[in-house]
Amino acid sequence: MSKNYATVNPCTMCMPLGSVMAFRGIENTMPFFHGSQGCSTYMRLHLAHHFREPIDIASSALSENGAVYGGGANLKQGLRNVIKGYDPRIIGIATTCIAETIGEDIPQLIKEFRQEYPGHSDIILIPVSTPSFKHSHEEGYNETLRAVVQTLAKKDQPSDRFNLIVAAIVSPEDVRYLKQMLDDCAWSNILLPDTSETFDAPVVDEPPKIPVGGTRIEDIKDTANSKETVTIGSCSTIIGAGEYLDCKFNIPNIVLPLPIGLEYSDIFVSKIEMITGTALSRKYELERGRLLDAMIDSHKYVAHVKTAIFGNTDIVIGVTKLLTELGMQPEVIATGSDNQVFEKAARKLAPDAVVLCNTDFSGIHSEIKKKEIELMIGPFTGRQISKAEHIPLVRLGFPNHDRMGASRQLILGYEGAMRLTDTITNTILENK
Amino acid sequence: MLENKIVTLDERRKHIQRKEGEILLPVICNSDSLAGAVSQRACVYSGARVVLNPITDALHLVHGPIGCASYTWDIRGSMTSGATLYKNSFSTDMKEINVVFGGEKKLANALRELVMKYHPPAVFVYSTCIVGIIGDDLRAVCNASSKELNIPVIPVLSEGFRGNKRMGYKAACHAIFELIGTRVHTPQKPAINLLGEYNVAGDLWNIKPYFEEMGIDIIVSMTGDSCVEDIRKAHTAHLNLVQCSGSMTYLAKMLEEKYGIPYLKASFFGTNDMSKALMTTAKFFNDPLMVQKAEEIIKRETARTAPLIEYYRSRVSGRRAAIYMGGAAKAVSLVKAFRELGMDVVIIGTQTGKKDDYEEIGCLVNNGTVIIDDANPLELRELLTRQKANLLVSGVKERFLSYKLGIPFCDFNHDRTITFEGFDGMVNFAHEIDTTINSPVWKLHVMRTGGLINVEELCNS
Repeated sequence: MSKNYATVNPCTMCMPLGSVMAFRGIENTMPFFHGSQGCSTYMRLHLAHHFREPIDIASSALSENGAVYGGGANLKQGLRNVIKGYDPRIIGIATTCIAETIGEDIPQLIKEFRQEYPGHSDIILIPVSTPSFKHSHEEGYNETLRAVVQTLAKKDQPSDRFNLIVAAIVSPEDVRYLKQMLDDCAWSNILLPDTSETFDAPVVDEPPKIPVGGTRIEDIKDTANSKETVTIGSCSTIIGAGEYLDCKFNIPNIVLPLPIGLEYSDIFVSKIEMITGTALSRKYELERGRLLDAMIDSHKYVAHVKTAIFGNTDIVIGVTKLLTELGMQPEVIATGSDNQVFEKAARKLAPDAVVLCNTDFSGIHSEIKKKEIELMIGPFTGRQISKAEHIPLVRLGFPNHDRMGASRQLILGYEGAMRLTDTITNTILENK
Repeated sequence: MLENKIVTLDERRKHIQRKEGEILLPVICNSDSLAGAVSQRACVYSGARVVLNPITDALHLVHGPIGCASYTWDIRGSMTSGATLYKNSFSTDMKEINVVFGGEKKLANALRELVMKYHPPAVFVYSTCIVGIIGDDLRAVCNASSKELNIPVIPVLSEGFRGNKRMGYKAACHAIFELIGTRVHTPQKPAINLLGEYNVAGDLWNIKPYFEEMGIDIIVSMTGDSCVEDIRKAHTAHLNLVQCSGSMTYLAKMLEEKYGIPYLKASFFGTNDMSKALMTTAKFFNDPLMVQKAEEIIKRETARTAPLIEYYRSRVSGRRAAIYMGGAAKAVSLVKAFRELGMDVVIIGTQTGKKDDYEEIGCLVNNGTVIIDDANPLELRELLTRQKANLLVSGVKERFLSYKLGIPFCDFNHDRTITFEGFDGMVNFAHEIDTTINSPVWKLHVMRTGGLINVEELCNS
């Protein structure tokens, strides 16, 4: 498909946003943008809308002077102020367009900061390059996870654990589910990043400045000593944390699709059974059985329903897989990212569907019209099309600004597939 | 003094003052945000975008990487009675190659493509950080496109780093000013423009009928529910009423200078301010009949809404409110509205207030009130707790901070879906404050109470 000059209603976001979604899953970490004040505020707003949580992102608040003469002074002052205000263990420094374009050398500035302020030597600084004009938020997320292990992972005694890298943006509820399953089955692991508490925090008497939770720093250090890495999310086009650990520390990295739907969940579970030598517990075998039961119950109502799926690459692929398992008809499969891996995977899953990469909602809209779509599945950004064409929209994934419960939306594993199957079926029934 | 007590960064202390007695130290304001302080402010682009985006039939094209367009797609609750083009998000989606070789060509092509497809009456092209750095000549591209496509293509010089949000307001005012005066029009009756009225949730439609009843024609509301054609005629008004003074005083002054249109500050929020706005306008036109009509309206509407407001007042009076707004005009209006509800304001702050704004605020508030400029989350949470606020009025970023602290919250920003302006708006506002302050959710224990619970009592309560 030929790409237009203008993008109309974006189906993607920018790299620094993805970096926050990764940094937020690390214990006691404060995200920091080297750029103008607006980047931080806009992304705080975008994330607050979705997670319904206070989101703090610091900024070096570059002004005209900084843009002309370099933003080193702002960066260093910003770091000191964040340390004073938030007392973090880690500051995750993501660049923005402006920092990248004026050619800021962050590692050098960090070196200078270390020399000028030796008192702050206990603060871990993790730089990551995330210019908005290069990739989407999805790559920003994976670049950041790699930067995190690159900075922290240290070779030590081999451990009995495996790494579970969540290489796609999922909900806090999804992470909670994974953790519960790993715990229930006594599968000893290091999960990165852990946003289960940090993006969905409880009300407490004295809320902490940086939310409690996240993958422990000691555990991230120890990722270099695990026996294997399982990376879930297979659409990434950049070198991720799992690949880095493989290259650097010879830890085999197996990349799997997100466990969405029955078969992808089976693949995930079987792989971990193999690594750990421990079988899935009965609780989840029962869950699997109930999922299959639910799918059988639903199959006639959802059969051949023409569906458009759009949003983040890995979620779109996983949901498309579930739809094919249910006998539905994925007709439009779309993402805003420019991603060949996604394109290939989508074509394989649904050879008759239109696959759109690097697209926007105007592109999605015209395909939806052409294909006489009956159901839309994706983020709330599809709402205008849904309204205009009177097609029900199952809100799924990020961003979701206009409905409750984005943090508690479960789509991973057998339980997630069950909930998704019920939601899809009920939406179809209600709109019959 | 408070400055010795609040835990914050040294550079921030002079931005925070407590009113004590007659003396109020000046609040330092209108400066660049401090690095690392987590300011609630956005950037120049954001300021320009919030002001211009409500123009319903214009095409708003963001020249920059995708993020700036993604995060501003239909985020403002400005309603429309006509065109919906402004609810789309257009971007040149600059990539690395455009950054290296320049984005002018892509911009020109994008303009051509979009104008052919959507046929807008005008285009606003917003520049973002990167455009300023690589030096695309926005004006030259816009001028050439304007000639080629035969519609106004107006550059909005809003590179994010060139200052704060206030600079963006100015850039927006300049952009609007380019449109004004490009249509011949002769008003048939007394005519006004509303400046800084954004029709959030449909506010404008609450107040417009009153002006019409007084025999006044509103040529255009800038920019809520406005269209390009009406903006072009704005120079023919006899008076400009400026509500959001932070964003639009600049335009009012330009219109006064070039077209000799006087302007008055006004607020349509709160029964008193709304009444005052109608009366001041009537008196401006120096027409006894119009004054009489205004009196009638005020009497009628006040009589209608007073009992409702009184009911809510009885449920919320005595509570302590905190205000943190983008602009000062709304903050000032809120102090007065809370007075109508019998509530005390214990914290008041703005993102973009100027020295004279803070002086006005300082005169208005009671002793003990804390005044804060360009606040950050850590300061807000400390102040909310220490000032024992029962309510925060602010925007989305602050909402969840407030909730986490167990403090009721009222959205007075873009996300609002209920009208707050006009006589009915004040009833809505009072209702909203009552709904949040008196919700049972705040009475639930944060921590489970220890010991055995008397089940019987719980069941019978």
